[in-house]
Amino acid sequence: MMLSWIFEAAARIRSLFSKSALDRKLQEELDAHIEFATEENIRRGMPPDAARREAMLQLGSRDAALELHRDTRGLPSFETFVQDLVYGSRQLRRNPAVTLTAILTLAIAIGANTTIFTVANALLFRDPTGVTDPTRLVDIGVSYKGIGFGSNSYPNYIDIARNTTTLDGIYAHGRFPNGTKVAAGGRVERAFVMITSTNYFEVLGAKPVVGRAFAADETSTAVLSYRYWTRRFNRDPAIVGQTLRLDEKPFTVIGVASDGFQGTGVRAADIWIPLIANDRRNAAWLLLGGRLKPSSTQAQAAAELRSIGNALAEEYPADNKDKGLEVAALSPLPGETRPVGGFLGLLMGIVTIVLAIACANISGVLLARAAARRQEIAVRLAIGAGRFRIFRQLLTETVLLFAISGIAGVALARVMTSVLISQFPKLPFPINLALSLDTRIVAFAMALSFVAALFSGLTPALQASKGEVVSALKSDVTRSFGRLRFRNAFVVAQVALSVLLVVLAGLFVRALLNASIIDPGFDLRGVELATLDFKTAGYNEATGAAYARELVERIRRIPVVEAATIATVIPGGFEGIGLGGLSVPGVIPADGKPLFSATWNVIEPGYFATLHMPLVEGRDFTDDDQAASPAVVILGEGAARRFWPGESAAGKSIEMRTGTQPGQGPPPAKRLLVVGVARDPKFGSLVDGSSGIYAYLPLQQAQLQVWTMIAARSTDGRRLTEEIRAAVGSANPNLTIESSQTGDEYASLGLAPWRIAASVSGSLGIVGLLLAGIGVYGMTAYLVTRRTREIGVRVALGASRSSVVTLMVKQGMRLVAIGGFIGMAFAAGAAQLLASLLFGVPPLDPLIFSATAALFLVIGFLACYIPALRATRINAIEALRHD
Amino acid sequence: MDDKLDLLQGTLDLMVLQTLATMGPQHGYGVARRIEQVSGDKVIINQGTIYAALVRLQHRRLIKAEWGISGNNRRACFYSLTARGRKQLEERAANWQRISNVMDRIFDQAAEEPE
Repeated sequence: MMLSWIFEAAARIRSLFSKSALDRKLQEELDAHIEFATEENIRRGMPPDAARREAMLQLGSRDAALELHRDTRGLPSFETFVQDLVYGSRQLRRNPAVTLTAILTLAIAIGANTTIFTVANALLFRDPTGVTDPTRLVDIGVSYKGIGFGSNSYPNYIDIARNTTTLDGIYAHGRFPNGTKVAAGGRVERAFVMITSTNYFEVLGAKPVVGRAFAADETSTAVLSYRYWTRRFNRDPAIVGQTLRLDEKPFTVIGVASDGFQGTGVRAADIWIPLIANDRRNAAWLLLGGRLKPSSTQAQAAAELRSIGNALAEEYPADNKDKGLEVAALSPLPGETRPVGGFLGLLMGIVTIVLAIACANISGVLLARAAARRQEIAVRLAIGAGRFRIFRQLLTETVLLFAISGIAGVALARVMTSVLISQFPKLPFPINLALSLDTRIVAFAMALSFVAALFSGLTPALQASKGEVVSALKSDVTRSFGRLRFRNAFVVAQVALSVLLVVLAGLFVRALLNASIIDPGFDLRGVELATLDFKTAGYNEATGAAYARELVERIRRIPVVEAATIATVIPGGFEGIGLGGLSVPGVIPADGKPLFSATWNVIEPGYFATLHMPLVEGRDFTDDDQAASPAVVILGEGAARRFWPGESAAGKSIEMRTGTQPGQGPPPAKRLLVVGVARDPKFGSLVDGSSGIYAYLPLQQAQLQVWTMIAARSTDGRRLTEEIRAAVGSANPNLTIESSQTGDEYASLGLAPWRIAASVSGSLGIVGLLLAGIGVYGMTAYLVTRRTREIGVRVALGASRSSVVTLMVKQGMRLVAIGGFIGMAFAAGAAQLLASLLFGVPPLDPLIFSATAALFLVIGFLACYIPALRATRINAIEALRHD
Repeated sequence: MDDKLDLLQGTLDLMVLQTLATMGPQHGYGVARRIEQVSGDKVIINQGTIYAALVRLQHRRLIKAEWGISGNNRRACFYSLTARGRKQLEERAANWQRISNVMDRIFDQAAEEPE
């Protein structure tokens, strides 16, 4: 039985290609049929004419037979679909101006959505090139008390690799590629070197295109990236076997990675070198990842690693206490997926609003078109077309329109993506973002177009196919006002969404302006920043402090350096570190918690001078504040004002409590003497709403953090990269500089999300505004046309032209006002939600809301007035004859 | 018109197969006429629908078509059963018979019931 279906299906498809031949065959058979029937009838005694007539009656309608034959032998659904497409494209061509405007509008909206999706795809979803079966790979991160996804140490890595049964291989690599001095063939330059375990290429399934990857236990070998090999060595295969000097150490090139392979992360590497074993279990600088065994699931691996993590915490409490292991699917930004995802989600929300506006716009246009065609539709319904058939045909037209727009949108997205990327700040290292079109992106665009088409076209198609036949055929105007209600709703929706968009854009732009203009309380211009990793070089609390002091003094001695310092956190980029809470004798926190939470920083003397942060009271740390001296602290002025309003803070004491242990009573308090008060950095953290309590500890008295930054200001504003590098290198060749950038670059990095959000919402806000204007314009023009006869009557009865215009404008403005109010309400709500991101701009900023209201009033009025003017040119006599 | 039976396309197909089995190769008119006669003119409302059934059976490879010359030297397209068609006919006819027997018994029961 099954086979019959297959034969039939194949035969049906085949029959599509020989329609005329099959039709002809049927006609021949029907002719023969009539002849046979006629002959039999004659034989039975009928006269020839009657015989033939009877034969034809018996056969029935030839057209019906033909139709039935066609339906049975072909694919009727598919054929009607093709028919609809052809008819639809003809309709679209009939009104090229409207069609092109619609396509352009939609292409912009779909293009914007596709662009954001492209970036999201590259940052969150895309499979890394050159890696085999990336869906079976996972990232392994370290959590502290259940939070976070950070790096691990080498001895831990070895233990994990040894004990796992769910993972087929675990690799480790440095957090990101380091800028390194590379000497090869007489030339010296800077390249980015990534340290990985020797099984890295093997576990990832990345085969080198030349030479080989690392063998186990190798140390001084290097694999080049394809891009670097091309750029630097002109794809010369003889490079294999040559020696490079990386920071003066020799490495033998053993292979070149495949084209496009860049590891699993976003930051690009030029050279990979193998990891060297060490036994420092507390030096957490490696990111781990692994490949699931064919029989394991990610959940199983997560469970196993959790227990391995617990075992490690028990066995080595000094280094691993409270640390757990988390497993996540492979991602270009391990552990950072949520904040990046959140930001991209915001952008996605903005572009979706634009798409909604465009859809509402198109719906209005479709409704108008359907109204114009109601006679044609009524006729078709009257002669027997099913309502569903008409509905389907109108919907197919809409889908065709959106499909064309979708394709145009994808093309536009390529341009938009380049523009968006140019908004990103210059980074001190190269990144690898795969932004080219792939199937996922195209599929997204087409799916979005289809959904938008349904969204946009459903209501107009439903309305149109209802077609009150009698009234339409009689050209009765009054009945079609039901559709007006829908069109009104679409215009209101457009205006509301545009208002929302414009308000958001205004808020973001203002926030960005705030962030750049307002005196931040510090000055990073002319400052060189370099990040160092102390723990990898082998320093601990004791030796690190001494080395840091020696290093900063060495840098200060450089003639061209005006001031220098070392600190854990530099304002303008990222938040302070968490060293616990503090309590103040005699002062109780307002929110009832036992401790104040503070934003800590660990600094060397000279911090405030280097960053031009004034000290409003007391003194900076000095060389006398050593580990053995009394413990001191400098507070921010906000904190000082809060704890001791109206009094001098210098000389007072606070208590610092680190590490709350559940169920073990209050933690030990360290008493700190306040020796100075500094101006607060205004936008010291990426997200406003930081604690407001800034506290600084001298590096000599506090724990050395893994990452610290050198900040050095030069006397003449020049860059100090080489000088710092020399100073660091001469003091300790093992200490690597992670990254080196100017203060401006550092600060702009922090503001990048705002800059992007402002430009995206700003440009799209303009688009949205235009669309809304067009929507209102179209609406009023439609109104004027629909009410032509009524206007003629009014004028004939003595109404002045201007009163007619006023009537039209009032109706249009009513819609604008309603839409405006709704939009403002939504905008107020959205602004409240985003308040913390706005750098102090009040969410209900009167300036922005009133400016938006004024803008929409003006644009709305113009959009109503201009088409309403047409009403004045209506000839009353002709109008009365108009339908 | 009212006493003509409403036919499912599957049933019409079966009638066509049986007709071809009994009569041998036939053209469309012949099949239609035969079905009308045997059913006492109770079946086909308009004969044109036979051609849809014929093309369907052709698609399923249960019958095949060949142009030929009829009794009165007229060119017509003759349909005949294929081997598959013959087998299908046997199976479906047997099935039909089984159903028919069961239905008979059920209706007899119903007739006897009210006592």
